[in-house]
Amino acid sequence: MTLFKQIALMLSIFLIIILGTVLTLNFQSANQSVQDRLYDDAKNTATSLSLSLGSANGDISMMSTMINANYDSGAYKQINLVDVDGAILYERKQESKIADVPEWFLNLISIKAPIASANVSAGWSQVGILNVQSDTTYAYVQLYTILKSLLLSFTIIAIVALIILNLLLHAILRPLKDVQKQAAAVIRNEFIIQETIPYTKEFKDVVLGMNNMVSKVKAMFDKGNEELKHQKELEYIDKATGLKNRKYLIDRLPEYLKVDSVSKGGTSIIVALSGMIEANEKLGRRDVDKLFSEIADIFRHSSRIYKNSIVARMNGTEFALLLPDCPNEDAISLANNIYTSATNLIEEYNLNAEETFVSIGLYEYSHMDSIAQLLSHSDNALAQAKFNKIHIHLEKAEEAVEVMGKEAWKRIINQAINKNRFNFTSWAVVDFKAKKLVHNVLSINLALDKHTSYSYAKFMAPAIQSGLSCDIYKNVVNMLLKTPDMVLSASTYSLRLPSEYLEMQETYETISNLLRTSASTLPFKLIIELPDRMVRKDSKFIKLYKELFEQYNIDIGIFEFIGESDDYQYLQDLRPVYIKGESTYFLTQSVQSISALRLITDSIGISLIAVGVMEMEVVEELAKKHISIIQGRATELIEF
Amino acid sequence: MLKLKVLMLLALFFISSVHAEKPYVEKQLLQKIGKKYKVFAKRRFFFLQQTLDDVQNGTDLEKLKAVNKFYNNVRYKSDMKVYRKKDYWATPWEFLGKDMGDCEDYVISKYFALKYLGIPAKKMFFTYVRSTKFKQPHMVLTYFKTPRSEPLILDSNNRLIFPASKRKDLTPIYNFNGEVLQKGKKKKSHKKWDLLKLNMQRKKI
Repeated sequence: MTLFKQIALMLSIFLIIILGTVLTLNFQSANQSVQDRLYDDAKNTATSLSLSLGSANGDISMMSTMINANYDSGAYKQINLVDVDGAILYERKQESKIADVPEWFLNLISIKAPIASANVSAGWSQVGILNVQSDTTYAYVQLYTILKSLLLSFTIIAIVALIILNLLLHAILRPLKDVQKQAAAVIRNEFIIQETIPYTKEFKDVVLGMNNMVSKVKAMFDKGNEELKHQKELEYIDKATGLKNRKYLIDRLPEYLKVDSVSKGGTSIIVALSGMIEANEKLGRRDVDKLFSEIADIFRHSSRIYKNSIVARMNGTEFALLLPDCPNEDAISLANNIYTSATNLIEEYNLNAEETFVSIGLYEYSHMDSIAQLLSHSDNALAQAKFNKIHIHLEKAEEAVEVMGKEAWKRIINQAINKNRFNFTSWAVVDFKAKKLVHNVLSINLALDKHTSYSYAKFMAPAIQSGLSCDIYKNVVNMLLKTPDMVLSASTYSLRLPSEYLEMQETYETISNLLRTSASTLPFKLIIELPDRMVRKDSKFIKLYKELFEQYNIDIGIFEFIGESDDYQYLQDLRPVYIKGESTYFLTQSVQSISALRLITDSIGISLIAVGVMEMEVVEELAKKHISIIQGRATELIEF
Repeated sequence: MLKLKVLMLLALFFISSVHAEKPYVEKQLLQKIGKKYKVFAKRRFFFLQQTLDDVQNGTDLEKLKAVNKFYNNVRYKSDMKVYRKKDYWATPWEFLGKDMGDCEDYVISKYFALKYLGIPAKKMFFTYVRSTKFKQPHMVLTYFKTPRSEPLILDSNNRLIFPASKRKDLTPIYNFNGEVLQKGKKKKSHKKWDLLKLNMQRKKI
C-alpha cells in the first residue's frame, strides 16, 4: 500500500471517528434536551393545574373535570391525583402508538418522560399531590427528525471534508510522487534530475540526495563514454593517415563473413607501397608521412561509393580496402584508378617510380570465407601483383561446390515459408562464474519433412541470396508470438532480428499487431536482439521499436557490438539488458577499453556477453577480462 | 471505689454528650461566617444553636415557638435591597449572617431549623398566601400535625403562632414542599427550591 493510501486511510478513519463522535454527542444532547423539555412541560402543567385544582375546594368531580380538560389536549401520557395518604383520587393514562417513526428507532432510543409533581391544596388544607407525565410521541418524532438532519448534514460534511483531505494530501505528497518517479527512473537506469526542489524538509533532503546520486552516475557514464571514445581512437585509428587500422578490420570482418550477412561477398583489395626506405632517405620522414596521408585520401575517395566499405592501414606500407558487393570488374577499374593516382602522386614528390611504386592485390571474397581465408587470398593476390608487370592482380574466389543449386534452394525455402516448415531450436547463454543459465538464444531449423532438416547456417545463406530472408523472419516472428508453446519452456528466450527485416515498412505494424494480441499470453520472458550497426544510428525505427517493446515488457539486447560508435549515448537511450560481442573482440581490447566500456555498461546496468566462445581456454581469457557470460559451444563444457 | 464509679459515669456522660448531636452550624462553617460577617453574626449563630439545643427534647409546639420567636427577631428587608435581586431564596446562613431578609428567607430558615430539631419535612409547607392587611403576596411556613389537620402558621409578620382559621388576614394560595415532591430520582422539582438546595449543599454564606 502506498504512503498516500495509508495516510488517506488513517486520516479518513480519524475524520469519520471525529464526525461520528460529534454526531453521537449532538444526538445525545438533543435527546437530553428533548427529555428535559418533556419534564419542563409536565412541570408547568402540574403547577398551573394544581393551582386550578386548589379553587375546587376538594370537590373531586370538579377536579376530575379540570384534569380531563388538560389531559384531552393529547400532550400527556398520564395525569393522576394522589391524596395525602397515597391513594389515587383520579387518574387518566394511555399508551399511545407512535406513528411516523420506524420501529428500529423506537427500539434503539429509549425516551423516558419524567413525572412532574405539584402539591394540591384546598384553602389551608392539603388535598394531595398531582403527578403529570408528558407523552413521548412528539419527542420521538422530533428526535427522529433531528437524527435524519444530523445524518444528512454530517454526511455532506464528511464528503466535503474527505474531498478537501484528498486534495490537500495530493498537494502535500506531490513532491513524494516526484521522488517516487525519480526512484523508478533510477531503477530503469534513467538519469532524471528533479528541477523542482520540494519545500518540505524531508522531501527536500531526499530529492537533493537523489539528484546528487543521479548526477554522479551520469558523470560516471559520461566519463566512460569519453574514455571509450578515446580508447577507440587509440586502438582503431592510424594516427598518420587517420584511417582505420588492421585491428579494426579484423574486428569488423566477422560481420561480413557470416552465413546471414547482408552482403554475400565483394572485393578485398590490398595496396602495398614499395621503396619506402628509399623515399624516406630522399624526402625525410615528415614528407613521407604526408605522402601516406595523401594516398590515404585516394583510398577514402575511391571506396566512398561502396556502402559499408572499410579502408584500413594494415602496417607501415600496406593498406586494405574491403568493398562489399563490389564486382571484380568494378574493382579492377577502381584498382587502376588508385594505381594511376598513386603513381602520379609519387611522381609529384619527385620520387623514382621504378623504386617507389604501388602494388594492388584484389581478391573476390565470399561471405562464406573465413577471416584467415580472406587474408591469405588477399596476401596471395598482392604477392602476385608485386611480381606483375602492371602491379595489379585479381584472385577469384574458389567456386563452392554447391550441393544444391540456387533454384533448388529457392524452391525449398519458398515451400517452407508457405507451409511454415520452420521450428525452433535453442542454445544456452550461461554465466560461468555464477554457474547459472542466463537465457536461451532461439534459432530456427528448416524441417522439410520428417527426414530432411536444414540448420540455420545451411539455409540462411541461399535464403539471403534469393531475397527470402525477410519472409522467413515474418514466419518466425508470427510463429513465436502466436504459437509460443513451440518453445516449451517458461524461461527467458532471445530472438535475433536482422536490420533488413526490421527496416521493412510493414515489419513494425506486423510486430505491433502480433504483440497486441499475443504478448500477454507469452509463457516466457522475451528479449529481442537488435544489431548494433542499426541501433547506434538511433533511427526512427529504433525509437518506435523501443517504445513498442517497453509497452509489452519485452527487453532489448544488442548483438554484433564492436564499440564503433562515436558516442555511446544510444546505450543510455535504448537501455538494452545486454550487449553481445564476439569473444575475439573482447579479448583483443585493451584493459583501458574494457574498463571504459564497463564504466558505461555498469552505470546503466548492461551485461556484457561474449559470443562464439568455443573452447575453455577462451573462457579463461574472458574471465581475466571480467567477462563471465558466454554463448557458444563452450557453454556445454561448463558444469552447473 | 464509689468515687471511681462516679468519675467513670461522668466521663461516659461527657463523651456521650460531645458526640450526641451534630451542631446545626458546624464549627468550620461558623468560623467562615465569623470571618465574613464578623463577631456579632457569630454570636447570633451561637444563640441560635443555644435556642435549638434548649428545645431539642421539647414538643413540636415548643420547637415551633422557639424557632419562630428566634427568627422573627431578624429584620425584614427586601431582596432587592439585600441581594440586588428581585427575588432570591437565601440560605439560613446568609439570612442570619446578614441578619436581614424577606418573607421567603424567614420560611426557609425556620423550615431547616425545625427539620434539624427532628420535625418531619412532610409536616411543613412553604405556603404562598395573600396578605389582606398589606394587600401583597406573602409566604408563611405552615405546620400540619397530620395531613388532614388544620395547619399552624409561622409568620414573619406575627410573633405568635396561630391555627390557620385564626389568620383571617391571610388568604392561602398554594402549598409547596420541595422534599415531598422530590421523592424518587427526580433531580428537579421547583426552580427556586432546586437552587436553594444547591446553595445549601455548597454551604453558601
